Amino acid sequence: MPRTRPPRTLALGLTLLLAAAAAAQEHGAEPQTAEPATEHPAPTASPHLRAPRHVPLDITEPVKVVSPGEAFVEALAAANPGRFSQVDEHWVDARGEYVWDEDEELYWQWLSAEQLTRGRRDFVQFCSSCHGLDGDGYGRSAQHLRPPPRSFHQSTFKFTKVPSAFLPNDDALIRLVRHGLDGTPMLPWDVSEERLRDVVQYLKTLSPEDSGWRDPTNEIGEVVATTPDPWVGKEQEAIEKGKASYHKNQCYSCHPGYATPAEINTFRGVPAETTYGADLTYSKLKRDSSFAVQGYQVSIPAPDFTWNTIRYGRDTMEVFQTIAAGIGGAGMPTWGVVGDQKGAVPDEEIWALAHYVRWLIDTYKDRPEREAFMAGLRAP
Amino acid sequence: MTSTTSRIAKPGALAASVALALLALQAPAAAFMQEGPDRWGPNPNASANGGRVDTLFWVITALVSVSFLIVLLMLLVTVLRDRARPGVKARYDHGSSLHDKRFTAGVSVAVFLLLDASVLWITMHDLRETVWNIPTGTQNVLRVEVLAQQWAWNFRLPGADNEFGTPDDIVTINHLHVPQGRPVVVHGSSKDVIHSFFVPDMRIKRDVNPGAINKVWFQAEKPGDYEILCAELCGFAHYQMHGTLTVVPPDRWDAWQAEASHIAQATYDENDTEARWAWDWKE
Repeated sequence: MPRTRPPRTLALGLTLLLAAAAAAQEHGAEPQTAEPATEHPAPTASPHLRAPRHVPLDITEPVKVVSPGEAFVEALAAANPGRFSQVDEHWVDARGEYVWDEDEELYWQWLSAEQLTRGRRDFVQFCSSCHGLDGDGYGRSAQHLRPPPRSFHQSTFKFTKVPSAFLPNDDALIRLVRHGLDGTPMLPWDVSEERLRDVVQYLKTLSPEDSGWRDPTNEIGEVVATTPDPWVGKEQEAIEKGKASYHKNQCYSCHPGYATPAEINTFRGVPAETTYGADLTYSKLKRDSSFAVQGYQVSIPAPDFTWNTIRYGRDTMEVFQTIAAGIGGAGMPTWGVVGDQKGAVPDEEIWALAHYVRWLIDTYKDRPEREAFMAGLRAP
Repeated sequence: MTSTTSRIAKPGALAASVALALLALQAPAAAFMQEGPDRWGPNPNASANGGRVDTLFWVITALVSVSFLIVLLMLLVTVLRDRARPGVKARYDHGSSLHDKRFTAGVSVAVFLLLDASVLWITMHDLRETVWNIPTGTQNVLRVEVLAQQWAWNFRLPGADNEFGTPDDIVTINHLHVPQGRPVVVHGSSKDVIHSFFVPDMRIKRDVNPGAINKVWFQAEKPGDYEILCAELCGFAHYQMHGTLTVVPPDRWDAWQAEASHIAQATYDENDTEARWAWDWKE
């Protein structure tokens, strides 16, 4: 019967295939000692290529982190009279989430294992390809990436708008993730606030013992106060004032200068014969202190507003916030008002700077006009 | 029975249905042809060889439409001619007579020669002339290395020295600048999963695989900004993985490249070995 032959051959073939697969598996289980002679040897040294066979997803122990502060817990207690009761001078949380520590004199916040597990699972799904399965900034896709992704083993963040002396609050971090960082692979993540809140709680627990959110001496800060724009209706004046302020405050020591040396000397009120380096109209390379953890030792230039995409500055208000709060871990200091103390530059001037920076971007970035503008500045 | 068939066969009703169908098709047809964001059709071609893709698209569409109309017409004729009528009994036919077999074979050969063979011929011609005919050399050709990742495009252009892996390489994320009117050869690879480098306006699409270098080339003919997309599902943020292709007019290109190369050199960190990912260019 010729008809039965094909199925029999097929069955035989399948059996052989299965046997071969089983043999290969057995062989694969043995440790391989010989180096594979390939043209491109596998870069086993790269920490990006660690591929754990088993990715732990569940967190079994609750973790305590620095709470948003006494005022926060008091407000929470006032809003939830059934949950909090006062013992001596401090509040006792029936749920055990906020606990007063007599020695450190602060409220710890206990993050439940359930919440951390939810956060961990979303972290692995959304964040780990770049930020790494352990949150150390060594994800597989982070290879060769500049700027490198944040390591959560350190607790500095660049664009949370919270002055860098403080830890950012939850809302600031969530807003940052949903905003994204322009010009980098940090996308504007369209993930719900509830899920991001869990992810942020998980991020806090990535701080090593006695640092970041696990260091009782650290305080959680607020987003820098955004005063109303004093230059509405007189934008041209703001740009002029911003230009003077930009060069008077020597922003050109990291960013490019956007004026001729003669103009800069006038803005600064220094002798007219003061000269500047040949790289005046270029960004300067500055060692970035924020990546000194986990081996990333990179230098990131301050942006040239007429050339680079800035991370957080889609409008004047965002530029204002970036200048006022500074950029944590980078060379950009906090220029604005912090707490009750006035910073180096008053708000009105920062707004003028913001108008000037936005004007530079809108007028010259990716436009043919830039060429003539920069050539004019560089003319001997 | 008789009343039903006579109702269907009414020529007036038939004409009205055809008119209605044409009317309904008019709006999408107009939307397909028009310019602007409400357009239904593909973006207008902006590259030197993209017209071939469009031609192939229209040839296939026309051939398939004509075949479809012929089949519809034959169906209509059969339905009308052989409809139920008194005194005629339906019968089953396997079409296995010699006459039927010859007819089927004839139609098959005709369809193959008319449709498949002509499309195959045009395709092979285009492949040889353009897709496989990758321009070589370094003088007139702009070479680009693309490194895809979840979920971004890393681009590397050689600087003034026209060599990859040197401090003046122009490295960008999600933004590629190319000159107008010069061939651009793209060599692509991936860090993690399979992505696909897709520039619809240039009519090119090429998978980029980890561990391999895939090649594609195009020549932009219209200055402007175009979208770069990932055309291979590469994870949940696949839909956010897009970049911009800026086509720079030839009179501005040299100045742009010199400036970008100078800035790259000025901000090059020699200690940062990890940031260097260029590979040797092999044509």
